[in-house]
Amino acid sequence: MTTIRQFRWFWAWDDEKEEDWLEQMAQQGYHFQSVSLPGFYTFEQGEPRSDIYRLDYFTNPKDRENYLQIFSDSGWEYMGEMNGWQYFRKQKSDSTANEIYSDPESKAQKYKRLLLFLVIFLPIYFNFIFLNERSGSTFIKVFSFVMFFLLLLYIYIIIRLIKRINDLRKRI
Amino acid sequence: MNSDYKKYLPLSESTAYILLALIEPLHGYGVMQKVEQISQGTVRLGPGTLYGAFTTLESEGMIVKTGETERRKSYTITGKGKRVLQEHIRRLEILITNAEITKGW
Repeated sequence: MTTIRQFRWFWAWDDEKEEDWLEQMAQQGYHFQSVSLPGFYTFEQGEPRSDIYRLDYFTNPKDRENYLQIFSDSGWEYMGEMNGWQYFRKQKSDSTANEIYSDPESKAQKYKRLLLFLVIFLPIYFNFIFLNERSGSTFIKVFSFVMFFLLLLYIYIIIRLIKRINDLRKRI
Repeated sequence: MNSDYKKYLPLSESTAYILLALIEPLHGYGVMQKVEQISQGTVRLGPGTLYGAFTTLESEGMIVKTGETERRKSYTITGKGKRVLQEHIRRLEILITNAEITKGW
């Protein structure tokens, strides 16, 4: 069994692009095995297949078994997790649903869960930046400067996720 | 009609069918199969949609857990769930009455 590793970066709001990419890889005979760190993928080489890949965002450890059981009962193979992102695979089928979300309202819920998770950590970033006000240490100054840029990135991610949610709601 | 229920309305088609299916206790996959059957194949629920609906409906007190076997939770509709569904159906009936005109198109 041959495995290959590949690096590719996807933003949280581009999860559909990531799904498409995993499907294209499968069509070329590279079947997703795991993603250990953000962007670091492992594929297993085999026969080309027309599989469907779907990503969900789920972080509740208490209800994990029940959650995974619903997916497995409806024909989705669980491929693993990376930072709350759950990877599922299924063979293309005409007789069962090929989507894990069957309407845009419920799909928007997925991004809302992620958004909530991000917003909860926002005060921590602010806290680090305002350390600067209270301390003259160069280390703290450099540190809070870095944190400031991370905060900007963080806010950008939040804005893009809100846009994704609004786009889903806009559909007629 | 309790005005507190207005915030839930209109229900999505998926949610309305999930509530209808839960007039008997069912687990997730049972709901999926029943909804596909009673909707004559027009509604096929994805597992993500169903799991999310179970979570929301349970926290709003519209369905209640009736059991758990082999990692599968079963739910059934509550009195509140029934009243919200009734009001949703009443609104749909008004829409259907108004839509009679489309039959002549």
